[in-house]
Amino acid sequence: MTRTFSIAAAFAAALALSAPASAQDAAVAQARASGAVGEQADGYLGLTPGGSVSADLRGRVDQINIQRRALYTRRAAERSVSVNEMAAAVACEIFQADANAPHSRIAVGERYRDEAGQWRQRTSAAPIPAPSFCGG
Amino acid sequence: MRSTLLIAALSAVTFAGGCIPVQIQAPDEPIEINLNVNIRQEVIVRLERDAQELLEQNGNLF
Repeated sequence: MTRTFSIAAAFAAALALSAPASAQDAAVAQARASGAVGEQADGYLGLTPGGSVSADLRGRVDQINIQRRALYTRRAAERSVSVNEMAAAVACEIFQADANAPHSRIAVGERYRDEAGQWRQRTSAAPIPAPSFCGG
Repeated sequence: MRSTLLIAALSAVTFAGGCIPVQIQAPDEPIEINLNVNIRQEVIVRLERDAQELLEQNGNLF
């Protein structure tokens, strides 16, 4: 039993290293749920103002943003577009308000920052307005 | 097809005539192309599939 577990753990660890994990960092996920962290229209995570944020959380958010930027940079180079454009294209997917949208990453109750820089909260009643650069 | 023939013909002429020195003068000022404002939305739309792929493949970051 223990052996099976350790093999499974090793496999999971290898998988985590080689392939992207399916869930976001638990501390960050919790911070999103509590509104301390939210998605921004620029394709990065942001810390909402007013809350006291631990250095640990700040570091985790920074790490995610650094890795996002690396992804955007690589893909932008492949497509001959700017990094900001690639990031904005991802933001358009993240901001999809449709509940059935497979890529919407802003749950009801979570906060997000629109393209004007304003922090808002998603409510069940109001869909998120997509940033103006997203197009149809 | 036509352009291919033209290129072939031009290459032949170039080879026949030896190396033709072509002087390209670099402009003093860098040429600024600022289409960003106009093409931005179009680019975003074109990147939709890429954006979806990045999200799907990097669930730990989104």
